[in-house]
Amino acid sequence: MYGYIIRRLMLAVPVLIGVSILVFAIIRFIPGDPARAIAGVHASPEYIEQVRKELLLDEGLHVQYFVYMTNLLQGDMGRSTFTRRPVTVELAQRFPNTMILAVTAMGIAAVIGMSAGIVSATRRYSLFDNVSMLAALVGVAAPVFWLGVMFQILFSVNLGWLPSGGIGTWKHLILPALTLGLATAALIARITRSSMLEVLGQDYITTARSKGLVERVVIYKHAFKNALIPVVTVMGLQFGTLLGGAVLTETVFSWPGIGRLMVDSILTRDYPVVQGAVLLLAVFFVMINLVVDVIYAFLDPRINYGSKEVE
Amino acid sequence: MKKYLVLLLVSIFAIGLLVGGCGPAEDVVDEVDDVTDELEDVVDGGQDLVIAIGAEPENLDPLKMMSAPAATVAEHMVETLIYLAVDGSLEPALAESWEPTEDGLAWDLMLREGVSFHDGSPFNAEAVKLNLDRFMGKGDFEGEAAVYAFLLSEVDEVEVVDEYLVRLHLNQEFAPIAAHLSHSFIGMHSPASLEALDAGQYVEAPVGTGAFKYAAWDRGEQIVMEKNEDYWGGAPELDTVTFKFVPEASSRVIMLETGEAHAIMAVPPTDIERLNDLEDIDVVFENSVRVIYMGFNMEDEKFEDVRVRQALNYAIDKEAIIATTFQGVGEPSSAPIVPAVFGYTKVGPYEYNPEMAMELLAEAGYADGFDIELFHPTGRYSQDATVTEAIQAMLAEVGINATLTTYDWGTYLDTVIVPPEQAEHDVYMLGWGTVTLDADYGLYALFHSSQWPPANNVSYYANADVDALLEEARVTPDRAVREALYSEAIELIWNDAPWIFLHNEGQVNAVRSNVKGLIHHPLENILAWDASIE
Repeated sequence: MYGYIIRRLMLAVPVLIGVSILVFAIIRFIPGDPARAIAGVHASPEYIEQVRKELLLDEGLHVQYFVYMTNLLQGDMGRSTFTRRPVTVELAQRFPNTMILAVTAMGIAAVIGMSAGIVSATRRYSLFDNVSMLAALVGVAAPVFWLGVMFQILFSVNLGWLPSGGIGTWKHLILPALTLGLATAALIARITRSSMLEVLGQDYITTARSKGLVERVVIYKHAFKNALIPVVTVMGLQFGTLLGGAVLTETVFSWPGIGRLMVDSILTRDYPVVQGAVLLLAVFFVMINLVVDVIYAFLDPRINYGSKEVE
Repeated sequence: MKKYLVLLLVSIFAIGLLVGGCGPAEDVVDEVDDVTDELEDVVDGGQDLVIAIGAEPENLDPLKMMSAPAATVAEHMVETLIYLAVDGSLEPALAESWEPTEDGLAWDLMLREGVSFHDGSPFNAEAVKLNLDRFMGKGDFEGEAAVYAFLLSEVDEVEVVDEYLVRLHLNQEFAPIAAHLSHSFIGMHSPASLEALDAGQYVEAPVGTGAFKYAAWDRGEQIVMEKNEDYWGGAPELDTVTFKFVPEASSRVIMLETGEAHAIMAVPPTDIERLNDLEDIDVVFENSVRVIYMGFNMEDEKFEDVRVRQALNYAIDKEAIIATTFQGVGEPSSAPIVPAVFGYTKVGPYEYNPEMAMELLAEAGYADGFDIELFHPTGRYSQDATVTEAIQAMLAEVGINATLTTYDWGTYLDTVIVPPEQAEHDVYMLGWGTVTLDADYGLYALFHSSQWPPANNVSYYANADVDALLEEARVTPDRAVREALYSEAIELIWNDAPWIFLHNEGQVNAVRSNVKGLIHHPLENILAWDASIE
């Protein structure tokens, strides 16, 4: 197991180097002079020259990348060309907010999605099944920004229960987390349902039932745990999507997270921040994938990633 | 065994998430909680104003400021020497008076006495010299100049004459200097606060002399300022002013409706009518300082004949564009600069008259029209692409077939602002905000023949008479004489028609009716020092 994790971590290194090269290159292949775009239409030629020097734009791409990586390895991601603050500080302030939002959204999604999925599977074709699966379809299809504005109108303007945006108390968290989590909840519900249905048709479930086990134990201990593998996969992948999907939610709800930071930075052509944020999200994505794989082994003892010493 | 190992890993990861995730955030959340609590305390009758704006300031350092949100926020805490009022007049602020020396090569600024910075240090001539030298990158601050240092490019040296008298020595006579000194980015900061900055660090918590003092800046969320009890102009009525950064326009509208914000900037056109119908909300229309235009490539033989350029002006229905695309917000350009700018004279607009356009084209030998390459940005100016498409359709009506090309903003500037021999375009769209509210910055930069690219006379316009008038207006201190000179220059430019003059952008803010005294400035600022909540 340790061996596997270490191997996976080593494999992550080339992936991340690849990501860093890609982000670095994409930003620089945008035609036009980034210095001019950053400096703005009123800026003097001297100032544009100053920006160009600061971003090393006169050097070759390989030189720029080498300098960037050297600094990165020392924990220096440069300074934002917009706010002039260190990129690491910007990211460190925003990332926790996005994590809070994404984790809460995932919590909401898991609870709603799994319960709806299990009930739908055990009461197949019932009214509950049909209604919840229809709701799931709508949930998957509804655009986040539309859903967000609808929630604001209902809960903030009409009912006056919750703040329409910003960060602060737990009340501020509810609407954005719900908006962000509902699509994932819908997806989890659908996957849980189909996975449960497949497992419930297996011979060992019939065996368990014929042993005289109560239905609750059959469903939760025997069926659900085995049905979880595809659900966990989806949750893992979705967590990455949530971090990315937070871009829209954070904008609608003025949530000061990394998604909004990225949007703002793209609009102000703040290349160092865009680079840093994408890289950070990539690191996280790789980590989540690793954790998902480890959880597989926990859920299904037959998966052991080829190491023997832990048996 | 394996199970425990996995459990251990998962829990480590979870703890990591919690520690990494919540640690630093808690401080922020606590801070914000405090602020929110404070806000809630005073919602019933307190004087705590909340204004929601779309973008966050980059920072509040004169060296690096370049956006309207930064100017708006900074002006509450940091004052300029001269204040540019809503009507374009220059009023005393930290300087009580200003006048040129006899030869016009220097300006004397008499400073206000008895003013203190928020840190208690005195405001005086030394402080002014330090701030101006830093802005220009001169004296002790050799090396790095401000992004907007061009505002003071004619200032050679700042001399401290006595405690409350500063003399600005100029390279040559330069009449707009007072207007330039009124720019929000040239604010006076406490020298001690500037000296305390580390290398590479820029002002985020300004220490000025303004009506409000800096309290907190929660990045991505809000800036909070509190009343300066010792303000030289008398303490404001408001206890606090908070600027919240809400990028989504519809979310700002919702905040105004729920009462989470007292005022919002940049109301989306689609919401104007609905908000207007609400009893406790007032919609405020104000001009902006930006003109939007389609410039001709005057080195192109098609546009050598002035009749062709005028014809294209007659071919565009500016009123219709404003009514449909902007829901009536804005106005057709009636000069190359907006009415709020000193030196403006009304000479237009060119009426919509397609028959006249076709006649002029025929006279110029283009009865069958011609093809043009029209370059425009997308997403830079309000509705830029939509406006361009409307213009394409209107040009087609008079026989001109326009092919549209658009680029990302950076690329666009690079493609359009080029010397004539590199120009790929026949017509290009750009906008210009005369942020000094003085015609010099709006006319000299765009129409003087010395300002061809890489500067901003992108139409390659050259008229010796206009050059002479603009040069004279630069060095004439008498404002009435300057006004007459600009009036003459504007008339010449208008008839030469180096642009299709399109429209002046408008701005729309909305305020809850119980808030009085907010100033809505053409520079796209909202100012709260005279405001109160009823």
